[in-house]
Amino acid sequence: MNSPLPWFIAGPLIGLIVPALLFLREKQFGISSSYRFIGATLLPKIKYFSYSKEGDRWQLQFAIGLVFSGLVAGQFFTGFDAVTVQPVEDYQQTALTIYEWKNALQFFIGGILVGFGARYANGCTAGHCIMGVSQFAFSSILATIAFFIGGLIGSLVINPIIF
Amino acid sequence: MLKFLVTLLLGFFFGSILLASQAFSWYRIQEMFHFQSFHMFGLLFSAIGTSAFFLFLIKRSKAKSVYGNPIDVQPKKLEWKANLLGGLIFGIGWSISGACSAPVYILVGLHWKIGIVLLLGAFVGTILYGLTENKLPRQ
Repeated sequence: MNSPLPWFIAGPLIGLIVPALLFLREKQFGISSSYRFIGATLLPKIKYFSYSKEGDRWQLQFAIGLVFSGLVAGQFFTGFDAVTVQPVEDYQQTALTIYEWKNALQFFIGGILVGFGARYANGCTAGHCIMGVSQFAFSSILATIAFFIGGLIGSLVINPIIF
Repeated sequence: MLKFLVTLLLGFFFGSILLASQAFSWYRIQEMFHFQSFHMFGLLFSAIGTSAFFLFLIKRSKAKSVYGNPIDVQPKKLEWKANLLGGLIFGIGWSISGACSAPVYILVGLHWKIGIVLLLGAFVGTILYGLTENKLPRQ
């Protein structure tokens, strides 16, 4: 498991999830609404969370599948990151040690921005970038461009200065 | 129950591909934003292309779901300020944490300490959005 599954295999397999969800669940690919669903379950008193959440329930089930994939991978590949990442010089150290507790604040802040931004933009990489752009939806093309501009700011400016 | 299992399996499949292709990894995300590898771009473009191809086929063949209903695909509503500003905030979070919404859940399983911190963060972000929703520019 030294090198990643090539993009020309992994990409089409991810793309296949879109028709699979439509055929099997009549749902449009997406994942970030699961956060709102969790909120509606745990904190129904907050106004934003008192909505008809049933349409989003499947996303939590989808999310549980994602957690399981991580659990299984963790069992089979011990030292997953260390073995699988092919470091580019700049990131050699961080690539191996990034998921350590001392970086928790960085992940917490990043998580807040991901949660906030996904709801504000009305979708994330799955819902906008893959599902939306493949429909040629203007909203999703705009959001995807913004994802990348934000990503460049974070990766090239914020990360080297702050984290 | 069957619906639950199908959805769970699809999630598991999605997660496994993100793991095998390393797209869940902080490192791959940095590499993408530094333009040091085509891997993530190829992954995204080929996923979009495959999805577009099947959406085209579904539309043309007027395909029905397993429940016998016509498959109806709707674009997300255009709110250009929300799409752009929200997208910008999301992108910054994506590159700081190296994880978008799906890898957050994968990391809960893989590196549970950091995964739970990420999930908690995303949840706090969702609450913050809910509290400020009416004050944010949309279109």
